[in-house]
Amino acid sequence: MTEKTSFKEIIVNEEMKELVIARINAQVPSNLKLAVGGYGTMNKEEMVKHVGKGDEIGKQIVKKHILFLRSLASGEFTRAIASVE
Amino acid sequence: MRRGIILTLPRYDVVTEYLSVFSQEIEIEAEKKGIFLKPLKEEKVNREEFEKVINKLGCNFIVFNGHGSGDSLKGDKDKVLVKLGENDSILKNRLVYARSCEAASILGRESVKNSNGCFIGYNLPFEFYFDPEWSGNPIKDNFARPFLESSNLVPISLIKGNSALEAHERARKQMLKNIKKIIRSKTQEAFSIAESLWNNYLGQVILGNQEATL
Repeated sequence: MTEKTSFKEIIVNEEMKELVIARINAQVPSNLKLAVGGYGTMNKEEMVKHVGKGDEIGKQIVKKHILFLRSLASGEFTRAIASVE
Repeated sequence: MRRGIILTLPRYDVVTEYLSVFSQEIEIEAEKKGIFLKPLKEEKVNREEFEKVINKLGCNFIVFNGHGSGDSLKGDKDKVLVKLGENDSILKNRLVYARSCEAASILGRESVKNSNGCFIGYNLPFEFYFDPEWSGNPIKDNFARPFLESSNLVPISLIKGNSALEAHERARKQMLKNIKKIIRSKTQEAFSIAESLWNNYLGQVILGNQEATL
């Protein structure tokens, strides 16, 4: 399975959206903005709104979080980090 | 085709401002190594000018900064520079690094078919965190630096004489090092930044001739 396929294969549901909103609220500082290529820039509140609405950028944000959590759960993230000094 | 670089530097929104400002490091490295580099700046990053410059100078390496989509690379004010099925032949037999969203997924894959060239880019949206306080002077933004400095390593490694594969791997390795450093900092934003760097790490791909050099 390719990485792109994994990203595409994630089907965003309400449970994922709730989880991601909680993660954004807990982790993203209010003073920073996220630039996501052609989707533009957004602060924490805007991220939460996009995720809540489930629009295109909101779905991208959810998929990114889920992909990261799956990488953590599978050990892929830890192995990669451990491979560098 | 001559040994040299065309570097696109659109600068019409925060994202392109950051990409262009951090690209100064690429220009400095090329100058240091005596490699010809033609910057294409701001409103000149349009299809007509781009094609004119490529045809005239014939450089073998193109670095794209800017927005993109699965089948296109864009320049000033989102104007299309390269589009699949229209002028993608311009990428054939060249080294290409596209710091643009998702262009590797379709355009990149197609561009390396029947070609000796190599395409390094992203099949996910390229993203970075930044501090709006520094948007007037992006180079001092230490939140954006780990993203843009590590991605700069693709062209910088090629300028230093490494192969496309080595350049791709060095950039990805630096992303991992930055993730490790940020996680160790234990700041509130550490996991958000690590997550976005991980997104770029997973999204960066190399297609075509991995042994290609500048």
